[in-house]
Amino acid sequence: METFAQTLTSGVLTGALYAMIGIGLTVVFGVMRIINLAHGELVMLGMFGAFWGLTLWKLDPFVSLLLWLPVMFLGGILLYRFLLRKIIPGGELNTLLYTAGLSLLIANLALFAWTGDYRTISLSYGQEPIRPFGISIAVPQAVAFAVALAITAALWLFLSRTDLGRAIRATSQNGEAAVLMGIDVERVAMITFGLGTALAGAAGVLLAPSLYLYPTVGELLIVKCFVIVVLGGLGSVPGAIAGGLLLGVVESLGAVYVSSTYKDGIGFVLFLAVLLYRPSGLFGVGK
Amino acid sequence: MRNFAASLFALLAFAFTTPALAQPLKIGAPQPMTGPDAPFGDKFKKAYGMAIEEINAAGGVNGRKLEIVIEDHQAKNALAATVAEKLITQEKVLIMTGGRASGQAMEIASVSQRLKTPYLVDHPSADMITAKGFEWVFRNNPTGSIYPAAFNDFIANFPGAMPKSAAVVYDNTLFGKTIGAAIMKQLKAKNVPIVADEAYPVNTLDFKPIMTKVKGTNPDYLLMVAVSTTDAILLTRHAKEIGLRPRAFVGFGGGFGVADMSTQLGPLAQNVFSSAAWSGNPNDPKVKAFYQKFHSRFGIWPHEHEVEGYSAIYIIADALKRAKLTGDLAADREAVRKALLATDMTTVFGKVKFGNWSGPLGDPYTNQNVYSPEHSVMAQWKDGQLLNVWPKANAETGLTFPDPLAMK
Amino acid sequence: MSRALRPWLAGAAALALVPALGPSSFFLHVAILILMWTLLGAAWNVLGGFAGQVSFGHASLFGIGAYVTIILYLKAGLPPWWGIPLGGLAAAVASLPIGLVCFRLRGPYFSLATLAVAEIVKLVALNWEAVTNGPVGFLITGLPPLRLLGATVDWESKVPFYAVAAVLALAGLAATAWLARSRLGAYLVAIRENEDAAEAVGIDTVRAKVTTLALSAFLAGLGGGFYAFYFRYVDPDAVLNISLSMEMVFIAMVGGLGTVGGPLIGAVFLTTVGETVRERFQVGHLIFYGLFMMLAIRYMPEGIWGRLRKLVASLQSRVPGHGAA
Repeated sequence: METFAQTLTSGVLTGALYAMIGIGLTVVFGVMRIINLAHGELVMLGMFGAFWGLTLWKLDPFVSLLLWLPVMFLGGILLYRFLLRKIIPGGELNTLLYTAGLSLLIANLALFAWTGDYRTISLSYGQEPIRPFGISIAVPQAVAFAVALAITAALWLFLSRTDLGRAIRATSQNGEAAVLMGIDVERVAMITFGLGTALAGAAGVLLAPSLYLYPTVGELLIVKCFVIVVLGGLGSVPGAIAGGLLLGVVESLGAVYVSSTYKDGIGFVLFLAVLLYRPSGLFGVGK
Repeated sequence: MRNFAASLFALLAFAFTTPALAQPLKIGAPQPMTGPDAPFGDKFKKAYGMAIEEINAAGGVNGRKLEIVIEDHQAKNALAATVAEKLITQEKVLIMTGGRASGQAMEIASVSQRLKTPYLVDHPSADMITAKGFEWVFRNNPTGSIYPAAFNDFIANFPGAMPKSAAVVYDNTLFGKTIGAAIMKQLKAKNVPIVADEAYPVNTLDFKPIMTKVKGTNPDYLLMVAVSTTDAILLTRHAKEIGLRPRAFVGFGGGFGVADMSTQLGPLAQNVFSSAAWSGNPNDPKVKAFYQKFHSRFGIWPHEHEVEGYSAIYIIADALKRAKLTGDLAADREAVRKALLATDMTTVFGKVKFGNWSGPLGDPYTNQNVYSPEHSVMAQWKDGQLLNVWPKANAETGLTFPDPLAMK
Repeated sequence: MSRALRPWLAGAAALALVPALGPSSFFLHVAILILMWTLLGAAWNVLGGFAGQVSFGHASLFGIGAYVTIILYLKAGLPPWWGIPLGGLAAAVASLPIGLVCFRLRGPYFSLATLAVAEIVKLVALNWEAVTNGPVGFLITGLPPLRLLGATVDWESKVPFYAVAAVLALAGLAATAWLARSRLGAYLVAIRENEDAAEAVGIDTVRAKVTTLALSAFLAGLGGGFYAFYFRYVDPDAVLNISLSMEMVFIAMVGGLGTVGGPLIGAVFLTTVGETVRERFQVGHLIFYGLFMMLAIRYMPEGIWGRLRKLVASLQSRVPGHGAA
């Protein structure tokens, strides 16, 4: 019983971080129908943001979100405006290849600037875990979980309560109809990409205390990120959350009750199984 | 007139011999300078550079300068083969070294063997590299299955240390599986029950589930193998947080020996053993001097990678010094190979002499350093410092066993 | 027909001429790499370019070919000339269940399902030690003696490998050309443009796609088998890596999707650009590689071959009297 409770908790905590990485990607896909292969590198930039914030200015990573969210948002908008806008009409595949090139570019510029050294973030409150009901939880992970919940809630409020948010959802559900309704799809796309970038950065900041960081860490994250997003249904925010949590829990339970070496494999099998029964993911809205 | 003839002669001699003398002796080193292993390529680059500068400043090898040609293989096997081909056939290096990970080293070894160029392995640890009868391939560092030698010696010879049971947790890479298998083979031979045998994928974010499961088996020893640094740190952290209380926590793999281990874990690192990460005998003043010099130059303390890379260049320089070089590349490479066979020296890494012998898992080694079993050491974390504790000959301090946590 | 054969004969003759010019062994090595990538690009292009089914998992088929070939050689002593085709065949057989599962999905869902399959295959290779030797992998230390046309083949020289790679690459391109003219090819284009409409007019889309995947897998498996003998070491990280799958996509796309010559052009460009920048910049070279990919897509979205074809077409239309031919 203790094992099960601990395993489940670990799964949920890891799953929340997975979900955070997935949300940014799924929002962008929803509106622009592009698979952004550079998403992992954007997460990496967030991780480095947290690292430099702490090293240079003694800024707590979770506090540094207040800085990095707007910076990444702006960065995303510039990226869209100057690099991606012309490419997207060329179709999914072209954008895919283009963002693959972009991911190489970002990762290797980072490698050039910061060298490939492995870095870790050490927090004074990260030493001693809290133990509610005998379950051990690392404090940074608990904080990251809470912050992830807050960001998701804010995102949900934004998407459902503001005009801009509604415009994003409308474009995501039906781009052509959105144009007819007088929505400036171009502007919506730009803002959505900024939002996706900011979310990727936030995921990186939250992830930084739990994982080490190096310029090519994005490779590690991107495959998992896809599994989560497709599991939930491309373009669906609740789907990404469900996909992330599900993957976290299944991996965690699988490691204990099936085989730890096939941990990652269990995730992929689950992924295929879900897709076979629901070809457009758990929360997919069909074609 | 005589003066004129003499100066003419000198001039001629200069003209004919200087090009040969000035031509540097080239060493080729494929390393991962980009991609996931980039940090390691950089470590070796620093270590090689420092050794070469020292040797050249002291007059080079028989008057000729050494030169290292490093090329990036991105941690990809096919690229490692391509780079090796290029260094051997285009750059015309005399000898190869480097490689960093075993998969790439396998390709470099295979190419070097076919193109009859000596290859001195400085870090890759897969047993297979020196177990395929490649007479052109030499290795200074211990193989994976030798890594646990100090640990085996410890449990056999320290009074009361023989485990009553052991849990083995290792990653499913070549490194993790080789060491995991070597440990378990030894323990089974000593009738120690293995109560948990868990392989995990690299870069696992959370080991608490696995550690909870392991805790249920109540092991006397917890043995952890990790190729990646975060895995090493998280394994230790989560094992302690979950409340595992074995008589000894023993880590295998470089990650358990790096400074991050103590900065990240703080008091949790206390008394954790690290078996394997041999980086020279710290009691040797020459080794200490090297550590100091490296640190003042680059601002970091050298560990196994730096020590291995630095030592490799000295082993190569020693062989080049003894080899009769004629200017004919194929003959020179053969001469260097012959010279390597006769190597018998001491570097900051330790003694080195290549020979053919049989490894702990029965691998038939060729040209593997015969002193390798001595290059396995057990160290223990004490108040933020990693100190060698076993075997006694290399110990810096006494060891703490059993872990005080287990007594509570 | 003889007209159509002409460029092929010219190409084969040009390829045959290369070793006769006495190139350095490193030059031949790069040429072999280019030919291997041409074959792999063609393998991917058959499915991705013609049928519009974008696979991110072709490394699994390549890896199956490599493993089957090397295991047959090391365990059963089967020489390369049997092992490589059998590797291709094994990949084709393995592709059938993969296709039946993944083709139930469309668009990006299909792509990511193939990625998941590839990761599962890699995990199996890593853990099924009795068959695959786990992470240790397999190493070939010597190749079988072979006498051909009265001379002993020298495996240490690059020429025999070059010849095999050239034959395989030409076979890959020929298969593409055949597909482009066949009825199956027409079905595939219909599927690519609108799958529902293709189904509505009575095309058995699943069968067409599964057949194409099998052909694509056969070519990828041949590539894997060739890799095993040329590089002589097979382990999960090397032959089942996701970066291999992506490289195949890149080559087909930079060259020109759904064109016959595209994979060749893509392989030539990406390999030479990669080699050149790596030589120049030790740490920063992938920055330039990334930039090259971005610029290629930005200014040649239809690929280099596609762009050239357009240019040629526009030139032809401008030259009076040529159009009549």
